[in-house]
Amino acid sequence: MTDTPRKNFWSGLGVATVSVVLITWIIPTYGGSGFAFGLPPQLLATLGAWLMLACAAALSIVSFITLKRDGKPLIAFPEFGHFWHQTWPFLYVLAFIVLVDRFPLTWTAPFMIGALLLILGERRWHVVVLSSIIPAAGLYGLTAHLMRIGVV
Amino acid sequence: MIGFDAILSAFIAALHYESIAIIFGGVLLGYIVGVIPGLNRAVAIAIAIPLTFYMSAYAAIAFLIGLSKGTAAGSAVSAILLNTPGEPSSAATCLDGYPMAKNGKPRKALKVGLLASVIGDLLATLLLIAVVIPFASVALKFGPYELTAILVFALVFVAGMAGGSFLKGLAAGGMGIILGTVGLDPETGAARLTFGYAELMEGVPILPLVIGTLALAEMFAQLDEHRRNKGASVIKLGKSSEDSLSYREFKSTLPTIFKSTGVGAFVGALPGLGPTVGAFMAYGLAKRTAKDPDSFGKGNPNGIAAAESADNAVIPASYIPLFGLGIPGSVSAALLVGAFMIHGIQVGPLMLREHPEMLFTLFSGMIVASVLMLVVGWYGLRIFAKVTNVPPHIVIAIVIFLCLAGIQVQGYGTFGLATVFVFSIFGYFLKKFDYSFVTFLVAFIVTPMLEMNLRQSVILSGGDIGILLQRPIALAFVVFTALMVLHLAWTAYRRWLGDRLKARQS
Amino acid sequence: MKLKLLGTAILSSAMAFGAAGLAQADDFPSKPLTLVVGFGAGGSTDIQARVLANVLEENLGQPVNVVNQPGAGGGVALARLANNADEGYTVVFGTSMTITFGPLSTETTYELDDFRYVAGVTLGQSAIVTGEDRAFGDTWEGLIEYARENPGTSYATQTALDRMIIEYIARQEGLDLRIVPTSGGAGMAPLILSGDVDFGYSGGTHSGYADSGEMPVLLSLAEDRLVAFPDAPTLPEAGYDINAAEIRVVMVPKDVPDDRVERLAEALEAATRDERFIEITEERILMPVTYIPEDEVTQTLRDQIEGYRTLLEELGGVPED
Repeated sequence: MTDTPRKNFWSGLGVATVSVVLITWIIPTYGGSGFAFGLPPQLLATLGAWLMLACAAALSIVSFITLKRDGKPLIAFPEFGHFWHQTWPFLYVLAFIVLVDRFPLTWTAPFMIGALLLILGERRWHVVVLSSIIPAAGLYGLTAHLMRIGVV
Repeated sequence: MIGFDAILSAFIAALHYESIAIIFGGVLLGYIVGVIPGLNRAVAIAIAIPLTFYMSAYAAIAFLIGLSKGTAAGSAVSAILLNTPGEPSSAATCLDGYPMAKNGKPRKALKVGLLASVIGDLLATLLLIAVVIPFASVALKFGPYELTAILVFALVFVAGMAGGSFLKGLAAGGMGIILGTVGLDPETGAARLTFGYAELMEGVPILPLVIGTLALAEMFAQLDEHRRNKGASVIKLGKSSEDSLSYREFKSTLPTIFKSTGVGAFVGALPGLGPTVGAFMAYGLAKRTAKDPDSFGKGNPNGIAAAESADNAVIPASYIPLFGLGIPGSVSAALLVGAFMIHGIQVGPLMLREHPEMLFTLFSGMIVASVLMLVVGWYGLRIFAKVTNVPPHIVIAIVIFLCLAGIQVQGYGTFGLATVFVFSIFGYFLKKFDYSFVTFLVAFIVTPMLEMNLRQSVILSGGDIGILLQRPIALAFVVFTALMVLHLAWTAYRRWLGDRLKARQS
Repeated sequence: MKLKLLGTAILSSAMAFGAAGLAQADDFPSKPLTLVVGFGAGGSTDIQARVLANVLEENLGQPVNVVNQPGAGGGVALARLANNADEGYTVVFGTSMTITFGPLSTETTYELDDFRYVAGVTLGQSAIVTGEDRAFGDTWEGLIEYARENPGTSYATQTALDRMIIEYIARQEGLDLRIVPTSGGAGMAPLILSGDVDFGYSGGTHSGYADSGEMPVLLSLAEDRLVAFPDAPTLPEAGYDINAAEIRVVMVPKDVPDDRVERLAEALEAATRDERFIEITEERILMPVTYIPEDEVTQTLRDQIEGYRTLLEELGGVPED
């Protein structure tokens, strides 16, 4: 077992919950139907979900026992700041993707790269500009001239 | 049959100055494209194919072969230095390549990777040449029963590889199985778990999945790390002595290389499995048979050697069913069929009778390409290892951009980008809570193949399990699987006992 | 090499065509085009598409890039084409089966009227095939007799359409078959060649074995007998009232301006007269080259859909076993 029983307990619980949702709702509803001579369409997915459930539940239980035995608390809240630090990169990429859905990547790229560099504390303008423009220019060259699929 | 001198002269034809130049061009182009994170062989081919129309048949094919090898070598570089596999098959290289690079030994990692690739490639090519004519039909002995048995064995084998936590590994495997069923049911045609998205009808697209889970998730982890200790390199450049590859170290990886080439060649010769399965199987085998399995995943050169040699060995081996039977067993083989056909050559068993010189010239061209791959890669890695000097925040920003660009360029559309994003969250979760990516990915890849073959087996045999008695190969693998399950259970039990004992003593 | 001479010949004739085209003062196309193939790299559809793209380039004067978007028997590519707003710069090269039978067998987001069918350029050569050394020989009658006496004879299916056809045949002949799903020609070939499956559907894979005889054709699913396998009867000749003829067509979204569709049609017609295209298509891929203009091909597709619909109703819905 790894050395973080608390993490295991919570992740096990989380995975077990997801697998229960899968088994009871998602797979039966979206899993496809139809009689098949070989294997029913939902069989493998259901097996996989049960496997998840069994292992995650076992993991949770074992970690729970370890935690209790060592007398450590179940819940230890990380500070909010810590949480934010882990989340904002995802929001950044999500924003990037939303932009790329509307405008070609080649044009949005310099702005996004530059923005991230500034967020990360880069203050030397020539570095920011060069790092933003060169990859975008490279992409342009690749798609418009080498692969000839236009601006991507 | 044609005479020996004819074979020899066909062989030598490939050693022309002109033909070497063309192959070199292909390898170089492929290498440069492969090195750029997120770009891979498909992109290189898109660039190159228009060029090949104006070449002669031999030149076009030689160029494409050089291109394939170049991208394979180049992909290993981005996998090792940036945890960004250009193709799913390079994902196995990331597992030990990236940790080793992070530990300050990027050059060593790159060298091991390159040498392993070249050796795997060369050996498999030699195997192809030796075996294709008499033994192509052996591939036909592996029907649905055999493939089902082999795939189940592979799954169980990899499940036992999960190292740290057996339970977490299995849970990850379960997730992989579920995602592997996404798509159209092969028998009823019903859409499973596609939620109405046409893009999911062929399954979750694997390249965005792999890039999201490995590369993007890693970039997020790096951002976290960067905040904590600003100024440290993404990859630490170690002292030169630690970072170079000594001959002895290289020799110690040779057994792994040979075994993995064997696995890769086997997987390649069976149509339909592909280099990703080969790479992970070889990695799994190397880990389980190693004296120090826990060092895998932390920068063990054998891990890199196994992944790279197998991954490269699959491709020439997949030409065995191609040249022998006309069945392309991998995407590379399928592309060769296309290129051949456009230039007027029917690939298949008749090639030997009608165009034997072509076949032998091709073989020697492949060997030339392998050697050139070594040359290009060797000098290339000196240049690219310098990437480690670039300040980390710049690397992170650009790699994030490249991950998305690579997907966008290959036409996956916004859905592909969304897939990358979703799996980066998933990959981050796997990383933070220490779940095994390997079992997940293998389960994901193997499940559709397994399901198809299992279905076929059940239907063909009419549900009669006695058929196994008539199919010795399948029976053998079933027995292996049973033995493996017992072995795993035994090891797990022993380990559990050991842990209990330690806990009592402390 | 012969190909180089051919290349020069092509180039000069293409320039002649190109000059004729330029005389029409049209600025389409003014940037590269994309030819989407709904099947994987290396398959017969993909290869044809690549050759076609190469020939079209010379005529249209702009690069034509081939992109693969495999999935759902060509359905994924069509689903994406339906949302395409390129106005003619993106076309799909595919087989008529995707649009005639596809929407009938699964729920698709597209249907016949969502696209315009610029032209049909080759006739598909699908067939029902078998392997060497079979107990029933290599004729269709032999197979039927064998299957009647041996319930559980196995058939390899790849698409919903061929599955429907075999179900119809089985019902008409009173056969009890084991129908095994396979994925694509490369999935079917090992099973047929090794003898694990008795007979099956082949979309184009069998052409590769025309000379070696390892994959004899039992029945032609095209409108006429197959070019490379003239001994095999067609469906009507064997007594089945089905028209499953496949046409390879070039499709665009329905709102592409007429003049652009015409320009594409012109280029396609020139391509079907191009020597290199004809040589590779007819002699390598073994498919007859033809040119079927928009109105005719659209009507043919409509008729086929009606035919399939009737068949489905007779069989009682989408086949399930």
